[in-house]
Order: sequence, then structure tokens, then C-alpha cells
Amino acid sequence: MSGDIVITVNGKLHTVQSTPDTPLLYVLRNEIGLNGPHFGCGGEKCGACMVLVGAEPRLSCHLPVSEIGRARITTLEGLIEEGELHPVQRAFIEEQATQCGYCVNGMIITTAALLWKNPHPTDEQVRTALDGNLCRCGSHLRILRAVRRAELLMSGKGSE
Amino acid sequence: MTTSIGESVPRIDARDKVTGAALYSGDLVRADMLHMKILFAGRPHARVVSIDSSAAESLPGLAAIYTARDVPFNEYGLQKRDQPVLCSPSQHAQGQGVRGDIVRCEGDQVAVIVAETEAIAEHARDLIKVQYEDLPAVYDAAEAMKPDAPRIHPEVGDSNVCVLDKIRKGDVQSAFARADVIVEGEYHTPYQEHAYLQPEAGLAYIDEAGRITVECAGQWTHADRESIAHALGLAEEQVRVIYPAIGGAFGGREDLSVQAVLALAVMKLKRPVKIVWSRKESIIGHGKRHPMTIKTKWAATRDGKLLAAETTVIADAGAYMYTTNKVLGNCTITATGPYFIPNVKEDVYGVYTNNVPTAAFRGFGAPQALWMAEIQMDKLAEKLGLDPVEFRHRNALREGDTLNVGTPAPGKVSIVQCIEAARDRFGWSEKRSLSTDPQSTLVRGRGFACGFKNVGFSFGYQENSWARVELHGKTEIDHVVVWHAGAEVGQGAHTVMAQFAAAATGVPFEKVTMVTSDSATMGNPGSASASRMTFMAGHAIKGAAEKALAKWKAEERPAISEYTYLAPKTTPFDKETGYSTPNLSYAYAAQAVELEVDLETGFIKILRVVSADDVGQAINPALVQGQIEGAVVQAEGYALTENFITKNGHILTDQLSTYLIPTVLDIPDAVESVILEVAEPNGPFGARGLGELPFLPLAPAIAGALHDATGVWFNEFPLTPERVLRGLGKIK
Repeated sequence: MSGDIVITVNGKLHTVQSTPDTPLLYVLRNEIGLNGPHFGCGGEKCGACMVLVGAEPRLSCHLPVSEIGRARITTLEGLIEEGELHPVQRAFIEEQATQCGYCVNGMIITTAALLWKNPHPTDEQVRTALDGNLCRCGSHLRILRAVRRAELLMSGKGSE
Repeated sequence: MTTSIGESVPRIDARDKVTGAALYSGDLVRADMLHMKILFAGRPHARVVSIDSSAAESLPGLAAIYTARDVPFNEYGLQKRDQPVLCSPSQHAQGQGVRGDIVRCEGDQVAVIVAETEAIAEHARDLIKVQYEDLPAVYDAAEAMKPDAPRIHPEVGDSNVCVLDKIRKGDVQSAFARADVIVEGEYHTPYQEHAYLQPEAGLAYIDEAGRITVECAGQWTHADRESIAHALGLAEEQVRVIYPAIGGAFGGREDLSVQAVLALAVMKLKRPVKIVWSRKESIIGHGKRHPMTIKTKWAATRDGKLLAAETTVIADAGAYMYTTNKVLGNCTITATGPYFIPNVKEDVYGVYTNNVPTAAFRGFGAPQALWMAEIQMDKLAEKLGLDPVEFRHRNALREGDTLNVGTPAPGKVSIVQCIEAARDRFGWSEKRSLSTDPQSTLVRGRGFACGFKNVGFSFGYQENSWARVELHGKTEIDHVVVWHAGAEVGQGAHTVMAQFAAAATGVPFEKVTMVTSDSATMGNPGSASASRMTFMAGHAIKGAAEKALAKWKAEERPAISEYTYLAPKTTPFDKETGYSTPNLSYAYAAQAVELEVDLETGFIKILRVVSADDVGQAINPALVQGQIEGAVVQAEGYALTENFITKNGHILTDQLSTYLIPTVLDIPDAVESVILEVAEPNGPFGARGLGELPFLPLAPAIAGALHDATGVWFNEFPLTPERVLRGLGKIK
């Protein structure tokens, strides 16, 4: 029966009205009104729907909401703290890494997770982490530069 | 006075895009909103005998099912109204431009279903029973040209040939007779799927003024409005088209997808209706880049001057025209490359088939033509014993040289500068570092290619763009508001527009606000295509700003002016010779590529790309660089990984798991942008166009590099490992 599932999204509790097998993406978008995660392929191939489940970047377009349990969900919107952009978000602006912007959610979520786990990744580690995020505008090189800028910002070495 | 022209100011939409605040059409919701699903034909050629929707109609929560009977004027098309909005039997199937009860490709829409939830709409769609009478079909453009081939549009013309462009310049026969070197070739270019990350989606409703309003992703608000209004039998003023944020376009959103059917449902139901296409629906439901077969014969003299080119192009138009006529016009012009060739003969055919329609895609016919032309240049250089860059340099268009259309390119011709810039940055003349390890199966090669592209619509179309500029303040201008309906598809158009306004009014960039992309409150912007938006919007905003400044000086507060820019006139091809001045401006590019190919696996890795692009004036260098890098990546996909497969009119690669676009692991290790600024006298602040340009030379430059590495010419692509190994004789 719907109504039994409670999830934590961006620090707030939400009682889910959808059926338990509903993918998390649609709960976030249609029930909670979060537009950071996007529908891109519906087949776990593009990365547009990514969210953080705990500290893990997860594709949400097939992930049943019933599997979330007590894990804390963070979306692109939830990276903002008290009106301050997350360093990865700032880095994407400063490196002009967005074009159409549709992939940016997944790119930022993946980057944030990577840099938490590994504050100074190698180029290969960065590319491997971002391999599941498609970008049709071909912003990859700018995104890679944004990851490096975010690395500096997060380690306190970035300029304002 | 400060000017922001030439400064890499941050995109005005960046903050919204990195925070999730930017709304795309799939994000929009309204109270009391219904949901739509479309029943696609799923078969390539058939007559729709009957539709039984009784089971679907009894579903609780179903709002309506519409078929061709419900569409007042069941026809649309950007260049030719040859496509029904819905393919189904209708009492007024006769007497219109196209028969409404015939399905001509699998992506044809048969019925639309509207319900309280998406799930109900989907269920209802699956309950609809359609009786089809399959018709003989044709899936090959050359086959479709034969007199006994099944006809796709028997109501028009006497064959499936829907376009024929001809060039007759000089005398190719006598030129071939006196030539020292001749190279003949047959080339095949593949489909390409746009694969924009945001699938088609839209929300339609009736606005406060009673207008049928469609919010969607498109490339030309006013063209969408015109098509919708025509199909629904409404005045254009009764229809409104708004573009929220757009998740990529690349030409694939020039033609209608969800717009007309959404508007139809809202007109009937008077309730908001939303649709979001699945990835499969997106891939089946919009046009692709034209696949082409190109046969050609080029001649040169012993001392390395081009003498003649004779070319026949057969392009698969698919089931409908879309923009095939314009795509092939551009293919015709670029089929001689940016080179002076005194004798040219071309016959360029567009042919209807029962395949997916083919349409606009970044480069618009030029990538196919240049695949042929640039490989021909490499082959000729090899035969002549000349360096391929030197050979290109020798034949590159100079000021006053005639194109194949018999007239010179207007504006400054800068291909020589592009060749030199790419050559020098790449270090083409320096000694080469050959593969060092003789045991390794990895071999390196380098290639070079050129490209050029018209800026703006052409062939006699009167190019235009509208803008409104408001100057607010008392003694000083406090802020500037710019109204422009041009589509921001990710290229940064709205940021560049604000930069134009800042420069034209002399205020800082931060004081400019953009109001954008609404057909109800703005004039016609023209399309975000043909690399035209910077050029046309720049002129429009500059013109409006100058008028507003005059009012400001006359103490008007606020000072508000509107202006419609009219570009220099162009002329269509002469039917028999192609003689014309078809374009008002061109832009030029050259690229050098270094790659590594594994002779055991056939896998190609692009190591380095140098792209020299003359943009006239970079309004925002960071955005220019973004376009160059992005075009290179997209062209790399076209050249290497994007293997679009169809069988008997069905698209087999209908998911992103089977149609592989480049990921961060596939992209070149380095893309070096060399931005040239040879001012275009016709351009605003000297700007040309850019969006398509860096896409053009890459595929043939890769082919040249692969030949350099392996000694084998590849006339067909994508250069998948399998194709490479076959070319190397390693597999059959």
C-alpha cells in the first residue's frame, strides 16, 4: 500500500504516495517537485537522472523507491547550503562547463561524490567516474577542467 | 565606454543550470493537467484501413482519442506540407496536399491518446486496434529512383525524386581530357541521430488571452507557431509558442514532434496537456542526418592545380521532405570543398523512401559533401606526390575566386588563413615522431581537412530577425531589457545577445536583462540553425539599440525601439546550371588530427585535434571554444562510434545502449581551438557564424590520418573497429 514509505530528501522527510516499485526519479520529480534530476533515457544509460544515495551517485530512473530505506537522498538542489553553491557547482559556472545543461545534474553529482571520496583523483580516475554520464554538447573537456577547479576549491586552494 | 564584445563573460543561464532551477519542457506542470501518449505506426508503408478504439475509450480516466478526423488541416512540413499530422482514415482525406490515411515510415503518428495519468494513456494506446493494409515499400534511395519502384507520394511529381540540384560550370569533359591526374571514388556516409539528452517533451494550455499555448523545445518559435496554426485552421495570433530551457537541438528540433498534437488536444479539451517522449520514441520520432552515396571524379594538373570535379549525390530523404531541399542545396555548394575548381558538374538527388525522414543536423549536408571532397583531395595529393596540406593551400579559394555556383563567396574569404593556422599550430611541417616500438600493434597517423559553411538561410530567402531594446533610467541608463525570441539550445545565444546589447548601448553586461523565446510578445527571430543566430540577432539587437539610443537622446524615458534586420539578398540556383549567389556570408575552418590505431583490434584513439575556425569576431571566446570542442566531439562520434542501423524501414539502434555517442573516455586527449578573427564586413561587429563549422572537417581528417597510419583508404564510415579490421583485410 502506498503511503508507507518515508524517504529523506535533501534533509527533509517525505511520505511517498507512489507505489513501492515506482522509480525514485519519478517520486523526486512528480511528488517532491525537484527538477535537478532529469529523465534522459529511462534505461540507466545516460546519467541525467543521477542523485546521491548516501554518498553514492546512483541512477534513479530504475531504482525502486522502496529500496531507499533510511539512506539520505541528495539531489542537485540539495548541494546548495544556506544559499551557497557547492564548490562543484561554482566550478562548473567558472569553467563555463554548461551548454544545454541537461547532463549537468549527473556530472555535478558524480563529481561531488568522487571528490568526497577521493579529494585528489588522477585523470584516469576522473574519466572513469564520469564515463557513465553522457553529454551530447561535447562539454567533456570543460567539465574535466571544472572537476580540477572544484578539487582546488574543495581543498581550500581555489581563488574566489 | 566598456564593451563586452570579445570577453568570456559567464553564461547568463549557468547558475540555473547547475542548481536545478532551469526548467526544461519536461519539468513544466499545471494544475488539472492531462497526459498524452502517441500511437506510432511502427510499420514503414501501409494504408490505415480502420481504427477501433472502443476498448480504449471505456477505460476510466481516459479523456480523448484523436485521429486524422479531428485535425482540421491534416498536413505539415517546414519546407513542404507533405506529412499528415496523424495518419488515419478521415472524411476529408482528399483535397489536401497529402493523403492522410497512408503511413510512410514507422515514426508516423496514427492517433493520440489523452488521459488523467500517463499510465492510463499508455494502457489505452495499447488497446487501440488498427487494421493496416501493408503497401510495397522501398528502403534504398537508388532503388527508389527506378521507374518501377513503389511510390511514396504518388500525388506529387512522377517519381520519388523530391530534389534535384544541378551545377554546370565550365566544361568538365574537355578538362578531364587534358588532365594529368584523375581520381575517381565512391563514398558512403551514414545516418546520424541527434541524441540530444533531453527527449521531446511539451506542455500545452490555454493562456490568459485565450491562445493555444505550447511550451516545448524547438529551434524557431514562429515557424512552430505557423505550422500548428495551419494544421488546426487557426490564425497565427491564436497560437503561442514558448521555449523554456532546451536540452540540445543540433538541427533535430527544427521539425515538429509533439507541438501540433499537443495543440490539437488543448484546442478540443480546453485543459492543459503534457507529453514526454521515451528515448525510443525520440529516436524513431524525429529526423536524422541524411545518408548519402556519392560518386565522383576529380582532375588536376601535374603542378597540383585542380581542374575539374564531376559528382553525383544520392541522398535518402526518407518519407518526407523536412528540410531535404535546403540540406542538399548546401551539400551541392560544399561538394567542391573550399577550393577553386574551374570546371564542375554536379547532380544532387534527394529521394523519398520508406525510411525515417532525414532532416537538419549540424553541418546541414556539408559533412557528407566534405567527406568526399577532402578524401578526394588527399588521394589527388598522394598521386601527385604533394603534401596534402600544401596541395590544399595551393587550391584554396582566394578573394574573387568563383565557387561552383559561378559567383565568388561574399565577404572575406579566409580559408588560406585557416589552413596556415591549423598547419602551424599542429606543427605539420616538423619532423614526425614515428611509432617507436616495432613490436607494438599501435600505429600513429595524422590527417588534415578543411571545411566551409554558409551563415544564414539562403537561396533567395529574405533573411531577417527582430529585436526590441528598452533603455531604462533617468539621467544615466540604469538597465537595458532585450526582447528576442531566438532559441537558446545550449550554444549560449542568449548570453551573446546580452553582450551585443551591452556593446551597442554602452552599458556593462551585468545591466542587461534578456526576455526570450515567446512568439506572442516578440517578432520573428528566425531559426537557431544555419549558424545564423549570432549573426542575425546581433544585427537586430544592434539596430534596435541604435534606434533606442536616438530616442534616449531625445529624452524619451524609457526609450524603447523595435527593429527588424534584413540581410543582403541571395538568389536561388539556376535550375540547369546552379548559377547563383546563394549565400550572404560564409565561414571557414581547417583541422589537423593525430590518431593511434590498434592494428589488432581496429580501435582508433584520437590523440590530438587542432581546429582553426574563422569566426570573424569571437563575441564570447569561452563559448566559441565550447562550440569548437563540442562540435569536434560530436563529429568524432559521427566518424567513429555512431553506427545507426536500420532494416526494412525499422530503426534497430533505438536506445542509447545500442547507438553509442562518445563518452569522456572516447573523446580526444586534446582539442586545441585556434580562433581566427578575419572580420566579416557583413557581420555585426565583424562576426560570422560558428555552430556548425568545427563539425565539418573532422571525419575526413580522421580518414586521412587512418590512411597515413595504415595505407588504406576508407570511403565509408563510421570507422568502427569492425570496419577498420575489414579494411585492413584482417576479417571478412
